[in-house]
Amino acid sequence: MKIFVKHTLLFTKRSLLNTIRNPFAFIPNMVISLFFLFVYQAGLSGIAKLPAFGGASYLAFILPVSIVSGAIGGAGGAGQSLITDLENGYFSRLLLTPASRLTIVLGPIIAGMLQLLVQTILIMLIGFIMGLKVVTGFSGVVVVLLLAVGWGLAFAGYSVGFALRTKNAQAAQAGTFIFFPLIFLSTTFVPYDLIEAGWLKAAAVINPTTYVFEGMRAVMINGWGESDIWKAFIVIILLCVATISFAAVSARQAVSRG
Amino acid sequence: MKPMIHVENLVKTFKGNVQAVKGVSFDVEEGEFFSFLGPNGAGKSTTIQMITTLLKPTSGRAEIAGFDVMNEPEQIRRVIGVALQETGIDPQLTARELLEIQGKLFGFQSSMARKRADELLELVGLTEDAHRKCGKYSGGMRRRLDLALTLVQRPKVLFLDEPTTGLDPYNRKLIWEEIRSLNKEKGTTIFLTTQYLEEADELADRISIINEGKIVASGTQENLKASIGKDVIDLVFTTEEEAMRASALLARLAGDEKHTGPDLRLFVEKGTAKLPEIIRLLDQESITPTTLNVSPPSLDDVFLNLTGHSIQTEKLKREESYA
Repeated sequence: MKIFVKHTLLFTKRSLLNTIRNPFAFIPNMVISLFFLFVYQAGLSGIAKLPAFGGASYLAFILPVSIVSGAIGGAGGAGQSLITDLENGYFSRLLLTPASRLTIVLGPIIAGMLQLLVQTILIMLIGFIMGLKVVTGFSGVVVVLLLAVGWGLAFAGYSVGFALRTKNAQAAQAGTFIFFPLIFLSTTFVPYDLIEAGWLKAAAVINPTTYVFEGMRAVMINGWGESDIWKAFIVIILLCVATISFAAVSARQAVSRG
Repeated sequence: MKPMIHVENLVKTFKGNVQAVKGVSFDVEEGEFFSFLGPNGAGKSTTIQMITTLLKPTSGRAEIAGFDVMNEPEQIRRVIGVALQETGIDPQLTARELLEIQGKLFGFQSSMARKRADELLELVGLTEDAHRKCGKYSGGMRRRLDLALTLVQRPKVLFLDEPTTGLDPYNRKLIWEEIRSLNKEKGTTIFLTTQYLEEADELADRISIINEGKIVASGTQENLKASIGKDVIDLVFTTEEEAMRASALLARLAGDEKHTGPDLRLFVEKGTAKLPEIIRLLDQESITPTTLNVSPPSLDDVFLNLTGHSIQTEKLKREESYA
């Protein structure tokens, strides 16, 4: 157990060094998240006057979109870094050490979570500078961070599993295109009641991101006691179980390939 | 005593029914320098990957230091060092960082890992570049770092999959010296695969020639060469026409012969003893070779004799088909 923790820390440190030395791996993602925040807030905040918003500030409404898009990018980095390891042969070198397979995969995932946490804190700070108010106060902010990390973890499981299965940078890149439906086929810009098209309404109900958006919004805008908050946690836990199992199975197969 | 490496009827069939290794068996004794010699695609890398726990065999058995590859992979990983054909380094890290991580993964304390990194950097001549990201290294430096990484835990058995392929002569010599001294001075058992005849000839105690997934011959260099039972006589003429006439004249003396342009190569039993007869036969027809040379067969001749094609031409053919 002690060795397991030691190796996991060692691999996490290695992944963090990699991230810091290759800032192009995370800067674009951060820029896109902030771009969403600024552009949607600037262009769309007027619609918050509609009764369906119930007087909520559009900034608090759109902030989860920025956070979740940042989380997906940060978590996707975990899969990308495994692909890089597979391509430069370092993955095989690690497989030949006594380190457990799980720690080899956990390192980049934990590093991805830390990166995502820092990113989310930055986005929230910028939100506060822009005038964001969170009705539940500091503990509400912590819940939003937890939801972001949880969602990131679920996506990291997906991206790692996908990476180990395809072992190919282009294919793994293609895998991250799920980003678009996840972010945009949801209550991204307006509340559910304002969505016009029936198909988009249906998609929003199926899309797990919707529950994450709604959970974060409930915490920031309406306060505790909203069912949306625990629904978000349940969706995230279920997703994490599914994607991390997928990653674990893929890791085992990647080892005994052929 | 049990051999250090014991391999029995190892088979690997990939998806699509491609049989890369078709039942390979061999033993390597403790302290021995053993080499697999064969062209690209002969099954060398697949065999190494199976023995070193990276690839599941379709059937067959392999043991290292008495541990079973299938059931005791963890014990095996503690006694082996493996340098695969593709180097395994993280280009964002420095040589020192990589070596220290490797040491810690094998249970070294920080100070010990640092000390071991120093030793190995010195050994492979990378001390001055230790703090640079290894992504910026030349091919030869990467190879040397890769070798250092496989030595961190002082393995009992070293697996080297084509360690000098694509290297310049300078770096090739460096690697040769390092692995030779590991074998001779530290007593490390070495399993090396190569497609270079000189490499196997120069380094190994014993060689298995592998072709199309099967071992076609095994033995010391001398044994293998002697197994042909013939000497090689090379003759060079001024014209191709002369070479052809000479080839017809000498056909009954030689078991095998090959001519390309003005060159004629004969495989003759007791070659030196037959020289006077060869010269007499040629003289009668007034053919005078410009060069005449008798030599014991090379490993390439052994390969040619066993498979019907030269390991060198085999390599060229493949390179062409990729082009």
